Amino acid sequence: MIVMRLVTVAFATFVALPLLWLVYAAFIPAEALVRANLATFGFSLENFAALGGTGLWRAMAVSFSATGLAVAGQLAFGLGAAYAIRNGLRLLALVMLLLALPSELLLVPLYRQLQTMALIDTLGALVVPFLASPLVVFLLLQGLRRVPWEVIEAARLDGAGEITIVRRVVAPILRPELTASAVLAFAAHWNLVLYPRIMTSEALWTVQAFLTELLRARAFEWGLLGAAALVASLPLIVLYLFFEKRIIEVFESGFRS
Amino acid sequence: MIRGVRTRAYLLALPATLVFAVFSLVPLLSVLRFATWRWSGTTDPVPVGAANLTRLLSDGALWASLGTTAMFAAMALPTFLTLSLVIALAIEGTRYERAIKALLFAPGLITVGGSAIAWYLLYNPDFGLIPELTGLVLPWTSQPWAALIYVVLFTLWQQTGYGVLVTSAALRGIPREVKEAARVDGATEGEVRRRIVLPMLGPTMLFLTIIGTVFSLQSYTAVYLLTRGGPFGSTRVLGYYLYETAFERYQLGYGAAITLFVLVITLLVAYLQARVLARRGASEATT
Repeated sequence: MIVMRLVTVAFATFVALPLLWLVYAAFIPAEALVRANLATFGFSLENFAALGGTGLWRAMAVSFSATGLAVAGQLAFGLGAAYAIRNGLRLLALVMLLLALPSELLLVPLYRQLQTMALIDTLGALVVPFLASPLVVFLLLQGLRRVPWEVIEAARLDGAGEITIVRRVVAPILRPELTASAVLAFAAHWNLVLYPRIMTSEALWTVQAFLTELLRARAFEWGLLGAAALVASLPLIVLYLFFEKRIIEVFESGFRS
Repeated sequence: MIRGVRTRAYLLALPATLVFAVFSLVPLLSVLRFATWRWSGTTDPVPVGAANLTRLLSDGALWASLGTTAMFAAMALPTFLTLSLVIALAIEGTRYERAIKALLFAPGLITVGGSAIAWYLLYNPDFGLIPELTGLVLPWTSQPWAALIYVVLFTLWQQTGYGVLVTSAALRGIPREVKEAARVDGATEGEVRRRIVLPMLGPTMLFLTIIGTVFSLQSYTAVYLLTRGGPFGSTRVLGYYLYETAFERYQLGYGAAITLFVLVITLLVAYLQARVLARRGASEATT
């Protein structure tokens, strides 16, 4: 047991280190580079001022619009699909298959598909293929098992349409799952790296595509890199700090069955 | 009337199904057709029959990258499973359970590009903080063996939280009475863990093994971010070779053939693993 605890502590430290460093590196003073030593500790805000000319803000705007639209679609369409499956539609096998199929692998045929649909190098390339997610359907379906079916039947007897039922009855009960799915979906889309690099040109690069390019082009401007990394991660850090408990609960209960 | 309601409920799955069909299923199936093309991505494709498929067999770089992938999986997968199990057991029911889980799950969500920069500034052999402060250097920019270890470490850093969560969920699914009964019968804590808890975690470990294998065979964002396949191709895993061929050398037709190759290998390996592990589980249960 002691060995197991030690392993846990060691690994937790290993995980925490880059996260803490991600926050600190943004404030590295310029002397660090002059003295060629990253262990020059200090505090400086100049790195953030330098971000202005790099195109980071533009990339942030692209990421926010594309990710926002994709997440909205995934929740709305995911809710519909999960509700239909709960009503007996046989779609679960397909969802599970897609869950095991990373989009990284299908880049070649996806490229062709977007090309035929004239979506290459448009905002649509970053949004339309991501309007539905198997993980979101899966998580919402787990939550739907909790919904007492009499409530749905009663609403139907009152003459409510299916869309009204989903919006007024199901969605409020599934709020924990919807929140957790929204954060997970946001993170998954925000973190796409290769996909936006391939499907769009520089004007439509997302934050991740931008960061990888910055790391290549300005590898020795440590403070600038640190600040860009922190700004690009901030939305996710904030979301995670707020909703961490809910995300972990929903995620775990999804895998308990 | 009931039937009408059901049909209307089914209709709500239409948008999601359409997206899945157009952007996952159709691409998945059309890989077969694209694999028979010579195609640069911008010009019109030229059908070349089975040329790409025969090229797979004689492509030394492809088989080398399969070897690299196997090495990557051989290092990453057992460590991932052991860590998931050990940490989930160590934190079960303690005060720190929630905090540790929250910490370990964070790297998987927090921007990959940002993480890559943090790692680069932390572990760079020439000027990274850790080499500066401790003198411990992992020469991942120049030494092939170190580069692969570096990618493995980054992957473990990102993914272990997921394994811990899944294992921990399974631990909580084990009924308390079963463990209590064994303790009443005089079993020690160690015996309870070895004889009851571990065997009951079998299906979960199988699940993580298969997910982990699929991930090892198909993922390559970490390689792209950290090493771009180098030095000397030492971290060119299968997925990265596919990316390079299709989108840096603009051979998308051959890229489709490699996609097919990766899919077949994944299915084969996952199937074999499921069979071997399920059989081993069954024989253990009977002894």
